[in-house]
Amino acid sequence: MIGYLIDGPLWYFSLAVFSIGVVWQLVAIIFASRKTDLSVARGSASRGAIRNVFSRFIPHREIAPQIRVQVVAGYMFHLGLFALLFFAAPHVIFLEENFFGFGWTAMPHWGFILAAQFAFLGLIILWLRRMLNSVSRLISTLDDHVAAILTFVVMLTGCLALLEGFHELRLLHRFTVELLLIYFPFSCLMHTFTFIPSRAFTGAWFGRRGIDS
Amino acid sequence: MRIQTLLLLLCLALLQFQAYAADRPPPAPGMVSTVPGADLWREVRQRDGMIIDGISQVKGVDTGVLINAQGDKWARFRINNPVKHAPTVIIAVVLVLLLFYVIRGKVGIEGGLSGRMVLRFTDFERILHWTLAIVFLFLAITGLVLLVGRPLLIPLFGKSAFSMLASASKESHNLFGPIFLVSLLMMLYSFARRNIYEKGDLTWLLKGGGFIGKGHVSGGFFNMGEKSWYWLVILVGLVISISGLILVSPNFGQGRVIMGISHVVHVLGAIILMAVSIGHMYMGSIGTEGSSEAMKSGYVDINWVEAHHDRWAKECHQKDQVISAEEFARLQGTSLDRANVEATEQAK
Amino acid sequence: MARMKFYCDAERCIECNACVTACKNENDIPWGVNRRRVVTIKDGEQGERSLSVACMHCSDAPCAAVCPVDCFYTTGDGIVLHDKDICIGCGYCFYACPFGAPQFPEEAAFASRGKMDKCTFCAGGPEVDNSSDEFKKYGRNRIAEGKLPLCAEMCSTKALLAGDSDVLSDIYRKRVINRGASAFDWGVSFDKAKLSG
Repeated sequence: MIGYLIDGPLWYFSLAVFSIGVVWQLVAIIFASRKTDLSVARGSASRGAIRNVFSRFIPHREIAPQIRVQVVAGYMFHLGLFALLFFAAPHVIFLEENFFGFGWTAMPHWGFILAAQFAFLGLIILWLRRMLNSVSRLISTLDDHVAAILTFVVMLTGCLALLEGFHELRLLHRFTVELLLIYFPFSCLMHTFTFIPSRAFTGAWFGRRGIDS
Repeated sequence: MRIQTLLLLLCLALLQFQAYAADRPPPAPGMVSTVPGADLWREVRQRDGMIIDGISQVKGVDTGVLINAQGDKWARFRINNPVKHAPTVIIAVVLVLLLFYVIRGKVGIEGGLSGRMVLRFTDFERILHWTLAIVFLFLAITGLVLLVGRPLLIPLFGKSAFSMLASASKESHNLFGPIFLVSLLMMLYSFARRNIYEKGDLTWLLKGGGFIGKGHVSGGFFNMGEKSWYWLVILVGLVISISGLILVSPNFGQGRVIMGISHVVHVLGAIILMAVSIGHMYMGSIGTEGSSEAMKSGYVDINWVEAHHDRWAKECHQKDQVISAEEFARLQGTSLDRANVEATEQAK
Repeated sequence: MARMKFYCDAERCIECNACVTACKNENDIPWGVNRRRVVTIKDGEQGERSLSVACMHCSDAPCAAVCPVDCFYTTGDGIVLHDKDICIGCGYCFYACPFGAPQFPEEAAFASRGKMDKCTFCAGGPEVDNSSDEFKKYGRNRIAEGKLPLCAEMCSTKALLAGDSDVLSDIYRKRVINRGASAFDWGVSFDKAKLSG
């Protein structure tokens, strides 16, 4: 009964909340009213926008030493996560069956495990830093913690189901994924989509003033 | 017809003569062998530990080995030792510590806490410690499920539910193992220098570390007990990690004997670490007054430093690293003024 | 109650591997999994012997003792079987088995070995007898049909015997009596050093 719900109605519900929610949020952000910029343009805004989207992947030289842990752990987590989300064999098959109708070459199994290990270690280090650094702890909201822990739980339930031999474990993983999808549009996880318009906006704003941000 | 019979009789007669030739030895009595090749099978049976490697058209790991007597030995060892004794060992350690707490109580500080703090562990060091701790606890629990789950948990959950738990434990245990190794290596890099044994450590040990009696014992940044725990974790942890890596990668063609040895080493190391880590957890939490703050905020009370690590305390005073209670509160983002805190909360 | 066993007569085995082929074919076993194998000791030398070995269905099976999820069970006939739905693919039974009977479909690093597969004495598994589920997971169930394992049936020299242990020991005893001093045991007939004195 629960299995039917998780594989059926709840899945479609979570997909709907996710897709409509993400689009709604993005539309609200991108089409929000902005004050007309009356300054004299000294540089190109669009060039600045595109430049900033990519340049922000590397931290500014002045603060880089202070944020080494976040940068390293952050990349470990994100790269590991994307590798296993899109190139782990069970996920490739899932995406082929449920979305695209075609698949692509998956990683060898040890690659999948390695990516997962990077992702886990990165996430644990990041969340611990959030808890142990006094400034981060004070400015962290419940949203930050729930997002981190929910992502961890999704990854963990996936890890528990690795043998792919017990349908209850697979269902548990799928259920936590659905919870994450429902939570996604209302949380800081929206940074997945908003980081591009955000960086572009900052880059455009400074680029118009002739500053490489 | 008669010629053939005559010829036959002649041949037989000749044979008789040949049999009695002088240089041939008399025929030996017939040897009754009910099991031909008894020596060969004794070797194969491996009673003296030698493994006879044959060949097989079926290619694979150990396919040429007919009998591996080590396998049963390993299985019986596992059942009769770690499985039987691991829960006892762990419960015994917990009970001993409980008893110690009841009798000796919390190790206090003369004069109590002053409120003046000194930085002991940076953010990064605390992150490393807690990463290792979380990963270790997870590995310990999943490992115990696999070790003692059959006698202890199957009666509770039944076979189907337990096999799901066991599969989940096995997969996650194998995945988190290398994470433990990486965390361990980071700990090695970060703390090794401060844990090298130095002058004064032997005195600390001989004085019982201050546990026995109320005497003051001198210690450096880390006392001898902490150093020994550190090296135990590093060495036993490395042994566990390497044996674990051997166990989890059968693609290198390790035979069953290597796997069995790796498993024994892995389990025994794990039980040692689990048992001593309970002591470590006790010491870092309720066992000693003022210790737990070290791994939370990274700061420790100067009185605690004077009491337990006086050689380091001297350095702290020399380098003027001691901060006041107000400064500490400010760094933590709290204020000693309670009204101030509540006002900030309301403004949010 | 019958106590089912295998017995491979080393004097008769000619390493033809018919038993291996029969088992693989009848039970539809995937690549890489070898329930039965023929091992040849002292290949090419005096005293060469071959033995066909698969699960020996031990009375005190070390695999059953060591399994962390207790997935093994012994039927009334003494056949040791296991439940693939419960197996977690840890490999301990493989380490414990003296004969290397447990087989696994995967052998990659960090991968689960997959569900263990082994000789079932052609007796299937815990699923319903002769159902398609049983065949997919465990292979043919010949015992339920009143037949004996196919490896023994297919043995070209009747070296491999399978069946009730009393019947098997009877057959083998008769063979030993009829053989007398073995012509294959060179040490008896032709070693001059042994004959002197």
